[in-house]
Amino acid sequence: MVRLDDSIKKRLAVVGVMVVIIFSILLIRLWSLQVIAVDKYSKMAESNRIRTISATASRGIIYDRNGEILVNNRPSLVVAIAPSEIENKGMLLKLGKLLNMTPDEIEGKLKDKTADPLKLRAIKYDVEENIAVYVKEHSLDFPGVEIKVESVRNYPKSTMAVHVLGYLGEINEEELRENENQEYESGDLVGKSGIEKQYEGILRGGKGFQQVEVDASGKVVRILDEKEPIAGNNIQLTIDSNLQLATEEALRDAIVVARRNGYPDAGAGAALVVNPNTGEILAMASYPTYDASLFIGGISSKQWAELNDKSSNFPLINRTMMCSYAPGSVFKPVTYVAGLMEGLVSHNSAFDCEGTWVGMGKKWPKHCWDRAGHGLMNLSSGLSESCDIVFYEVGYKLYKAGGEKLQKWAREFGLGSKTDIDLPSETRGRVPDKAWKKKFNEKYPEYQRWVPGDTVNLAIGQGDLLTSPLQIADLYGAIANGGILWKPHLEKRVLTAGGEEIHKFERERLADVSVSEKIMKELQRDLRRVAVDGTAKRALEGFPVEVAGKTGTSQVKGKDDFAWFACYAPINSPRYAVAVMVEQGGHGGSIAAPAARRILAASFELPSTGPMIVSDKSR
Amino acid sequence: MKKRDIFEWIRLIDFSLIITAALLVIFGNLMVYSATHNVSQGSQFFYLKKQITFSLIGFLIAVCIVLLNYNWFKHYMMPLYVGNIVLLLLVLFIGRTTYGATRWISMGFFHLQPSELAKIILILTLSAFLADKKGNIGKISELFTVFAYVGLPLLLILIQPDLGTALVFLAIMLGMLFISRLRWQHALFILGTGILVIFLVFQFNLLREYQINRLMVFINPGVDPMGAGYNLLQSKIAIGSGSFFGKGLFSGTQTSLNFLPVRYADFIFSVVGEELGFLGAAFLLGLYFFLIYRGLAIALSAGNLYGTLVAVGVSSMWFFQIFVNVGMTMGIMPITGIPLPFLSYGGSSMLINFVGVGLLLNIYAHRFK
Repeated sequence: MVRLDDSIKKRLAVVGVMVVIIFSILLIRLWSLQVIAVDKYSKMAESNRIRTISATASRGIIYDRNGEILVNNRPSLVVAIAPSEIENKGMLLKLGKLLNMTPDEIEGKLKDKTADPLKLRAIKYDVEENIAVYVKEHSLDFPGVEIKVESVRNYPKSTMAVHVLGYLGEINEEELRENENQEYESGDLVGKSGIEKQYEGILRGGKGFQQVEVDASGKVVRILDEKEPIAGNNIQLTIDSNLQLATEEALRDAIVVARRNGYPDAGAGAALVVNPNTGEILAMASYPTYDASLFIGGISSKQWAELNDKSSNFPLINRTMMCSYAPGSVFKPVTYVAGLMEGLVSHNSAFDCEGTWVGMGKKWPKHCWDRAGHGLMNLSSGLSESCDIVFYEVGYKLYKAGGEKLQKWAREFGLGSKTDIDLPSETRGRVPDKAWKKKFNEKYPEYQRWVPGDTVNLAIGQGDLLTSPLQIADLYGAIANGGILWKPHLEKRVLTAGGEEIHKFERERLADVSVSEKIMKELQRDLRRVAVDGTAKRALEGFPVEVAGKTGTSQVKGKDDFAWFACYAPINSPRYAVAVMVEQGGHGGSIAAPAARRILAASFELPSTGPMIVSDKSR
Repeated sequence: MKKRDIFEWIRLIDFSLIITAALLVIFGNLMVYSATHNVSQGSQFFYLKKQITFSLIGFLIAVCIVLLNYNWFKHYMMPLYVGNIVLLLLVLFIGRTTYGATRWISMGFFHLQPSELAKIILILTLSAFLADKKGNIGKISELFTVFAYVGLPLLLILIQPDLGTALVFLAIMLGMLFISRLRWQHALFILGTGILVIFLVFQFNLLREYQINRLMVFINPGVDPMGAGYNLLQSKIAIGSGSFFGKGLFSGTQTSLNFLPVRYADFIFSVVGEELGFLGAAFLLGLYFFLIYRGLAIALSAGNLYGTLVAVGVSSMWFFQIFVNVGMTMGIMPITGIPLPFLSYGGSSMLINFVGVGLLLNIYAHRFK
């Protein structure tokens, strides 16, 4: 037998040791993966195979007070692409041609970094069916492209009441952070304005989900767990569609007419109808309007820029409650009440209007809108003729009495604070006083002092006073009902998807205005005189229902006058309070009051026969 | 036959090696079935049937080889060597090209992979070559002769290209050289040459893009988890999530849901790790360890130097393939397409492993001569 010599045996032993070492290494590595790091890899294995697909609930429907649908949902054909296909320029170009989009537009939609990188991105909504079929049939030419059916908002009444309803948009990072504990995720649609935003939680419903096992290609192998989404609740609004439409038309027509009659800059306005006994908003119109369906599938940056451009007059803004304006003479009833309630004037007080008033001294003359002068006036005729001199006098008396009485009464009537209407972004307006002026002019010490002229200006609704049309409508509602400020609201009731009522809005008292019954009656009488033989006489001539109201023409530096009219009717048992405001529309009596008449006509279901514009120079 | 003769016969058979190899083959067929029974197209037994067929053919070949005397191969060293070269040249001209590599010659029902066969022929011929030197390669010139001898088939395999098999070639050569009392200085020289070659390969961009990617992934496993790093990550997830007891045979989610790439071939160890856990994987490594141990023991007890070298060659081949393949699935070796002996699906490789077992049994049986 030929035996191996020892050196070869030794070398075999060395090899043997090496084998032992290598196998030990493999075993240790195996242990570290399977025993030490088992949790980490088990989790990774689970997340590999398990996907949770959330199912969005059907969003609630919004009805008007008569059950007419204002917003519901409809299916939309959507083209969606896997974000990774952004490199596939040739395919994007081809798809773009088909969808009438530039590759840049598509890439822009794919680039969003906040969204899930594995989720398909919708790049076009409401794709025509033949195009969808083409893409499906040529799926090999369009890798990563899918056609889906998604539920989108539908607006059967087109742009009507758009400022009330609002629009939907993709949730942004800030909103995601704010709602961290809720089941929102990137890409979800949420209400961005109006009722859609205010009642997001009610309309949204509960998300469902499907937990599925997928294979490596993402194909669903089986369903592990499932929860059906819970449909959102429906909301019935206090809005009356017919009245809303008439209000929007009247407002739009008033603006068009103003523009044609010497006020070329008239381009925006607000009008609303409130039930003075409940605070229900029956109609709420803001001009210009926009089309909420532009937001379906995400608004293009070009369209967004247009909506936010000065030249388009900012149509997204609801001017009835997001903006505040100098109310001008529609504020005079507050001064009227303040003077009487504080005992500084009476109905026997006589005022002599010579067109110019020098009550604060010759150095500070102030003028009535009627430079020729109204002659001998009292409080009653002062209100119906809207004589400024009368109210300068009352204002000056209030100033001299001290204690910021006029501001106190303005606040009593709800000015300077939110009405708490169920809409987001409400303005509080502004009732100027000493403290405010001091703070406002912090950097200009010479302007910090409250001067008599400030109160005198405030008395005619000018100066630094700012009110929203909604506040004015609510204020006139309070005058109509004898002194109760009702909280204005749009929700009538909330219904389940099945139609069962789960919440009903009960009228809510914001405040009682502590005006004596006698003085309130006198104010109501004198506001009626405005319509009968005062500044709104021409506008309301021949109107079959008895209306009480007040015109206003507020001055804004560097702009044409803002036209106001606020009123209620019928005077004996008021059912409607109306406020109309046209930015740079001219005189309240000539532009706003005729519009209010048309709105009232619609409210009482009367034929609309009044004039579009009347001649009136009052302020 | 007398009782004593039967006893003599039994002494000639290495039952432990037979049992080990049988267990590995059964293990392998089971895992191949587990990895392929849920294929979306065709029969769930498609791969298993083929693998069983190759196992049986392999078994027959092994029996044939056992019945020969391994020393017989020594005399046919030159024809074997030349035949090998011819086959490797043939594959370059008439071979089937898949994934950019020309490795297979179509033989009707199966595709012969000459590079697998070349491994065994290398072992047989290089053993004869080294045995002639009496296990002494003292002179550097002799070393160069060995390099040239191995280099020719190696080059042909690199042209295919089949980097994995080329590396196995080197491992076999080094293992056998080491046993042939390779001098330490020469070992250092080989090491230096190796480093130089690696340097030149990078310098002249001789690696293909996928190979560079694999190396990048090996160095930094976190890179590109959806691309080049995907296979490695999925393999580690499969093994790691297998835990101590495993998810159960046929119950691996990574396996059955296709997350594991080429799981019936290169990544079959990941299937073992996922479904049978540490227990199963360690048992498999134990079988392999015993296999290598038997190989080295047979090398030690071989009747002549030629037998020793052949046994060392076969052991080196298996050992290197096991280490690289298993290491690769766990991220401690770069990804190379080297099959796991007896486990990975593939006809040529299965047959060659049976040839290896046959040779070892033969050497064992002739150990007293």
